[in-house]
Amino acid sequence: MTSTSLPDSLIATLSGSYYTDPGIFAQEQERIFETMWFCVARASELDKPGAFRTVEVGRESIIVTRSRDNAIRAFFNVCRHRGAKLCTEETGEVKRAFQCPYHAWTYDLTGKLIAAPNLTKMPDVGRTEYGLAPVHVREWLGYVWVCLAEEPPSFEEEVVGAVVTRLGDVESIERYDIDSLAVGKRIVYDVKANWKLIIENFMECYHCATIHPELTEVLPEFADGYAAQYYVGHGAEFGSDVQGFTVDGSEGLDRIPGVSEDQDRRYYAITVQPQVFINLVPDHVIFHRMYPVAADRTIVECDWLYLKDVVDSGKDVSRSVELFDRVNRQDFDACERCQPAMSSRLYAKGGVLVPSEHHIGAFHDWVQGKLGS
Amino acid sequence: MKIPVCRLADLPRGEAYRLEIDPPVSVFHTDDGEVFAIDDTCTHQDASLADGWLEGCEVECPLHASKFDLRTGSVDSPPAKLPVRTHQVVVEDGMIYVEPSQAVPNLPPCVGARLAGGLA
Repeated sequence: MTSTSLPDSLIATLSGSYYTDPGIFAQEQERIFETMWFCVARASELDKPGAFRTVEVGRESIIVTRSRDNAIRAFFNVCRHRGAKLCTEETGEVKRAFQCPYHAWTYDLTGKLIAAPNLTKMPDVGRTEYGLAPVHVREWLGYVWVCLAEEPPSFEEEVVGAVVTRLGDVESIERYDIDSLAVGKRIVYDVKANWKLIIENFMECYHCATIHPELTEVLPEFADGYAAQYYVGHGAEFGSDVQGFTVDGSEGLDRIPGVSEDQDRRYYAITVQPQVFINLVPDHVIFHRMYPVAADRTIVECDWLYLKDVVDSGKDVSRSVELFDRVNRQDFDACERCQPAMSSRLYAKGGVLVPSEHHIGAFHDWVQGKLGS
Repeated sequence: MKIPVCRLADLPRGEAYRLEIDPPVSVFHTDDGEVFAIDDTCTHQDASLADGWLEGCEVECPLHASKFDLRTGSVDSPPAKLPVRTHQVVVEDGMIYVEPSQAVPNLPPCVGARLAGGLA
């Protein structure tokens, strides 16, 4: 990227076509989403053997399910016979097996081909070889991550490493005991914007004082424009008159017991490339997954996680949910405001990043490196 | 005619063994410890009932979910309409044997054509 004419305070963004070109989006699908660890579901959604969820990862549809041995497995959602899509529902439950509705090829929950018309007359058809094609699966923080690469990158380096880069160590996130928290609320946003606009938005806080009045009330330091993500191990401190991370600064829910004193009354934010954002506050965790659908459309699924007792007892989490729900809507409105201008001739060479946004340049370099451009 | 199947100890409860005779027979060891033998091929379409789902004294065809009673061979609901044959089972000295039924089997159409020497 050339930026020879820019003043020292500014660096260039990606050019507009990166946010609109279906060809670039297809490359991102192939080289980013289909090669990296991609978070697909909360493990507790798959609450029994046979429960499944289908998710688009890059250009592929993937079935994620729980087997009888309680392990979570994931497969390409493609019948090995003639290629029919096995599951068309986004979520569901099969009793014992996945059966293709076309010729009834039938696969057990481990993906093995267990029955098909005339299969016994074809003893040379390997039941594993012609079973559902598996993809790599990991569980961490109570979430299911898949990787479509034949040789996946190190989960510890890429996913755990991203958290360590932000927080300084892995213990800092383990104290929130995220895998044992319960989903108190899930909201799914259909955002008419490129996935990178959403990441860039999440990475900077230059916009906070303008579009996030409630958040800036709770976290006054956000008014200076430097996001929690600008520093290592820094949590933005709650305002002195703020009782909890709620829409009106009123008291929150029960504090997660493992959260340390120096993490109390602070907000931490983590981006795990390419599609996960995690926010940590003392009484809950907000966990976003982005599912890029097209160059100009991204589905964002957001969970608010609380102590199981808080959710089971039916405590009112609405003020707590409303704070970040508003933040999300404010952010996604802003992204949707930018998306149409990405194809303006004025943005053909992109825009600029101010110093508190310069770290976004590293994200742009990373994207370009992945695309080999 | 008594055909050896396998050792009872090698057939855990809840499992089935497919005996490769013509037509094939499946032998089931139920969760209650009983052993039954029926024709392995579903009467609706060529599918192995040994690959099906054993529940109590019934096996559900893995393809289209018709259920066959292991004791009588009768079928509960379509798409299969005809019963499978049942076969006498004997366990001697820990070995399972089957005495195949002499009745005419209710094989699905394509298998019947093949056995009759016609084209499937």
